[in-house]
Formats: sequence, structure tokens, C-alpha cells
Amino acid sequence: MNRIKAVAENTFRESIRDKVLYVLLFFAVATILGSKVLGWISIGQDIKIIKDICLAAMSIFGTLIAIFVGANLVYKEIDKKTLYTLLAQPMKRYEFMLGKYMGLLAVIVVSLVFMTAGSSLYLWLMGGALNAVWFQSILLIFVKLVLLTAFSILLSTLVSPILGAIIVVSFYVTGHATEVFRDLPPQLDGTISKQALELLYYVIPNLNLFNLQSEAANNVPVAGGYLLYALIYGLAWTALFLVLACMAFEGRDV
Amino acid sequence: MSAIRTQDLSKTYKTLGKAPVHSLSSLDLTVEKGEIFGFLGRNGAGKTTTIKLLTGLIRPTAGTAFLFDKEILSPEARSLVGYMPEQPYFYEYLSPRETLDFYGRLRGLSRDARQREWGYISELLDLREIADRRIRGFSKGMRQRVGFAVAMVGDPPLLILDEPMSGLDPLGRKMIRELMVRLNGMGKTIFFSSHVLADVEEICARVGILVSGRLAASGRITDLVGHIPKSVELEVSGLNDAATSELHSMANRFSSSGDGRCSLVVADMHSANAAAKAVHAAGAELISMHPVMESLEDFFTRIQEGGGVQIPKDTSVAVVAAKAEE
Repeated sequence: MNRIKAVAENTFRESIRDKVLYVLLFFAVATILGSKVLGWISIGQDIKIIKDICLAAMSIFGTLIAIFVGANLVYKEIDKKTLYTLLAQPMKRYEFMLGKYMGLLAVIVVSLVFMTAGSSLYLWLMGGALNAVWFQSILLIFVKLVLLTAFSILLSTLVSPILGAIIVVSFYVTGHATEVFRDLPPQLDGTISKQALELLYYVIPNLNLFNLQSEAANNVPVAGGYLLYALIYGLAWTALFLVLACMAFEGRDV
Repeated sequence: MSAIRTQDLSKTYKTLGKAPVHSLSSLDLTVEKGEIFGFLGRNGAGKTTTIKLLTGLIRPTAGTAFLFDKEILSPEARSLVGYMPEQPYFYEYLSPRETLDFYGRLRGLSRDARQREWGYISELLDLREIADRRIRGFSKGMRQRVGFAVAMVGDPPLLILDEPMSGLDPLGRKMIRELMVRLNGMGKTIFFSSHVLADVEEICARVGILVSGRLAASGRITDLVGHIPKSVELEVSGLNDAATSELHSMANRFSSSGDGRCSLVVADMHSANAAAKAVHAAGAELISMHPVMESLEDFFTRIQEGGGVQIPKDTSVAVVAAKAEE
């Protein structure tokens, strides 16, 4: 556990020096502040629009941080050869992977706390209510980022950062549209395409499950059971991706 | 118990659509506890592959290896080895003190133990002045010292160093050489690869030479190179014209000072004895006769060129060059 903690602390220290992180946070804050502009042009709906855009900004920029910092994480260690002296230590490879993951997760937590504090303050200043569903929707964004970070780490052990980033973006977009694969038009009934797309519904995590933007914007309460289900669903996929990442890294020559 | 023991250790890289590359083939090598062992070979001979196998960075395709009888892929084996890669890289934003602390944590050392290690290693490697400077701005020599320091964290009994003198200036090389001898004096086994044969010859008792992924020779340097003169130098005085002409025809190199004194170099002891007989027959004087022994560099070059190696029967030197070439 101490080794995982040491790698995690070092990863956190390394990631917060990454300029990409600050560029993304800058754009996140700019988007959050810019939400007021869209609020002006939607008569009487400004608070709803601000909430909607703030949550979307947290989700998208959090994902971009997971992609751009995460997809590069293990690859950079191999490329810069820092991995050589690390893996020659009496440490199991899964300890290294979990340490990397925890370190990146800590960066995501800090970024999300920063964006949550900024959005909440802004919303409060604009006269919006900071109710339970607002924070519940942020919690589920966090769970989604936990899952995406694990997927990002898995890819960083297998492919180059650019390919990894492309795959995670595709995964993000597809993951938000899995319900389309299930509710296909009847014209496709009995075709191989339908079977293949339905299979995708089951093998790609449904990221829309973590999307409570509309509930938060309209102040619609969310049932506790739903939150618990989303939490377990997200953590189960995360565990699967981490196990696969550890397995992929275990046999890899560096 | 040997410090390193490999059995049929092999590594083949397979890439889709390309022919497999046999980086290392059936390596059987033993390094005894407490020795400095030099691992030689040209670029691409398989030295770094062997070192990566020994440190668990890559997996063998066949065979196995043991460090102090612990299988190489086990964390127990890695706790017994300190490793310095060629051109060591560390996190640039850390200082040497932070770097050593980080590696100490990975080795499971307590805070007190890490502080003790820092005190000891920083003094040995003269790191105090650069203790809190970021590694980013370090020169090659300074990085090498940090690399050595990291290899020593946890006081491992075996140090595996990949080209530790690579790219260093003469003073830097001397410093690393002296350090290796000093650490060896403190009981550490040192296994290192190098291109600098003079350095190897100076500090190693035994060496292994790889040629195209195969162990071409291994043993004590004195056994490998010490028994066969590569030529014999003779110095003679009082030669008449006929004898001078005869010796000239026997020599590979011949020089005369004009006063009947001359020096010549012949190929082997047999030719040297024939030359000595000719000198006596002409009534001249043989002033000196020196066999010029083969250096490690000569031996290394000959092995690379696939030349045969003659080793006296009473030595335990393993020479497999001829077999490898077959």
C-alpha cells in the first residue's frame, strides 16, 4: 500500500505540473462564466442554462483532463525511460498501475472540486439554488470520470497517447448514445447490423446513466436507488478496466 | 550461492509481419558473489537485453535466471539488486534528495531508514551540494551520480549497471571506476556492461563477451588473454650482413640502427626461437626477447571477427565462439 501511495503522490505531483491541465481548467472556467451569455438570450431561463452549461463543462473538461493527462501517463514513463528504474524496484506491476491511477484520480478530484466551487459560487451569485440534485449530478459526473480515467489508463498501457485519446473520445461519445443501439428502428429487425449494434449496447458502458443535467437544471429530485445503482455500475466498470490495465501491463516488455 | 545464474536464457522479439529477432540465445552465465564482472559486446550484441531480463523489465522467451537463487521475476530477487540503466532518467522536477526518498519508499524503507540512506549515499557520491537542485538542469556526470545513488538505495548486495561510463569525460569515468572498486571492497557484487575495454581490463577479474546474442567467451581476463603471445620482440647486436638479411626475411617488422644493432618483431615463439638460433649461429648477441601478450582489446576484436581461440587445457575458461559461429 505504501508503494501505491508513493507512486500516486508522485503522479499527482507530476500531473499538476502539466500545462495541459491549466489550459483545460482555464477553458472550463471561461465556459462556466460564459454561460451567462447564453442565459441572456434565453428569456427567463438563465439559471437553468447556467446550471446546464456548468455541469456540461465539468463533464467535458473533466473528461479531457482524464484523456490528455491519463492517456499519456504510462506511455510517457516508457518514452522517457523513467520506468526502467521504477520497475526494477521490488514492486509488483499492479502496484505501479494502481499508484498511477490513484495519482491521476487525485488530479481529477482537485480539478472537479475547483470547478464545483467556481460553478457553485457563480450560480449562487446569479441567484440560483444550490440544492441536493445539483450536487448529486456533480457526484455522478465524478463517478463517470473515475470510470473514464480507468479506461484511459488501460489504453495508455496498450497504445500511443494520440490513438488512446481518439479511442477515449469515441468511447465518450458512444457511451452517451448506447440507448440508441437498443432502440433501433423496426426496419433493422432481423439484420446482422441490429444484432451487432445491440451487442455494443451491452459491451460499452452507458455513460448517460451518469447524466443528471436535465434533472439539475429543472430541479427534479433523483431517487436514492438510482444514485446507488449508478454508483455501483460505474465502480464495477472501473474495476474491470483496472484489472484489464494491470493484466495488460503485467506481461509487457519495457 | 552465485550472485547471478542464468540457464538457457533467451529472448526473441516477434513483430507482426517481420522476421523474429533473436536478441539473446541460450545464455548460460554465472557471476559469483563479491566479484566485478564485465559484460562486453558490440552495439546490438544483447547486453542491454540481458540486463533488462535480469532486472525483470522484460520476460524471457525461454530459460530462466536467478539472483542469489531467487527467480528473476520475483520481487524478492529485485530487492537484492540495484540497477542503473544506460543514461539514467529520473523525474526532472525532483531533486536528488527527493528522488532517493521516492525510491526508498518504493523499497519499503521507513522514514528514518531513508534519511540514514540519504546521509550515507550523498556523502559517498558527493551529492550534498546538489541535494536540493532540480535534476532538470543536471549534466551527464551529475545524472550518472544520481543514477548510482538510486541503484544503492536499500543497500542491495548486487549492482547491475548498464554502460555506467558511457558518455563521461575521463575524470567522470575515473570517478565511476573508483566507486565501483570501492563498493566491491565493501562486499558488493558488480555486473556491468561496457564498450570501454581499458576500464574493464582495469577493474574486472572476469568478463563475458556476447557476439550476436550468444555468449562467445567468458572467464578470467588473464586466462582469456594471458597465454598466447600475439608477437615476440627481439633486440640483437653484432650482426653481419648475411645474418641481418636472414633475420629480415623472418621478421614481420625489422629496423636497424646501422651499427649492427637491430630490433625485430616475429609472429610467435616458434619464429622467435628460430631467430635466436640464427643470431647465435652468426656469433651475434641476443640482447632481449619479449613476448607481447594479447590485450583484452585484441581478444575482443578476434572474437568479433570469428577467429579461433586457443585456451590452455588447464583453465576453466569457457569459449564458445567457434560453436556460436557454426
